[in-house]
Amino acid sequence: MSRAPLLRLSSTESDVESEVAVITERPWNVIVWNDPVTPMTVVVVVFRRIFGYSNNKCTHLMLTVHHEGRAVVWSGKRERAESYCVKLQVAGLHSSVEQDA
Amino acid sequence: MSAKLFVRRRDGRIEVRLNDAGREVLHDTFGRVVAAERDLEHEWHLSLNSPINPSNDDDDPLSTLARQNEIATNAELAVMTLNEQFLNDAEAWAWLSTLQIALRSTAVANGILSDEKLESAPPELLEEIRTIQQFLFDLAACF
Repeated sequence: MSRAPLLRLSSTESDVESEVAVITERPWNVIVWNDPVTPMTVVVVVFRRIFGYSNNKCTHLMLTVHHEGRAVVWSGKRERAESYCVKLQVAGLHSSVEQDA
Repeated sequence: MSAKLFVRRRDGRIEVRLNDAGREVLHDTFGRVVAAERDLEHEWHLSLNSPINPSNDDDDPLSTLARQNEIATNAELAVMTLNEQFLNDAEAWAWLSTLQIALRSTAVANGILSDEKLESAPPELLEEIRTIQQFLFDLAACF
């Protein structure tokens, strides 16, 4: 009488490969647009008040808006970007949000 | 050299140095912003509601509501404090925001979207814009 071979029903080695996918969302940019009537000093004051940036950074951003027609003034999560955009609009600046290209 | 219309005092308050004519201009300006927020047909209403995210068909209603509430609150606070001799920081910020809203709305409603358009604007409109800008120059200097 022969003995049937023992079947190996379990394994201590994992044969399942795990794959970790890292998904990074492109940031959302808050854009401020140039207009012909808003005083430069007002733009600087609004940036300082809303973002808490230094005077130099606010002035640099204001000049970018003035010379290039627009500037990215903040980047990050969509909800915060929209919140900043609303604050800028409430302060009377022409602003919008767009996802980074 | 003209006297400053607004001066930040040592105690932190902002002194309003406007005569009756100046306050009358502000009364009209602040009142128009309040009216524009309430009246869908107002010529400024569209400029007060430019899109937050132009790539979407519709903005997030909560963001839109937050904006409308804050603009209306600032404008109403500005109207309520119109006759004050001294403003605290929040009140002065409400004045500045409301004036800036009025300035840009005036420009947009009259199609002034470039320096060239501004230079060729009718004298009466140009004077209105320069007057609001002068208020803003002096008020912004207090922040």
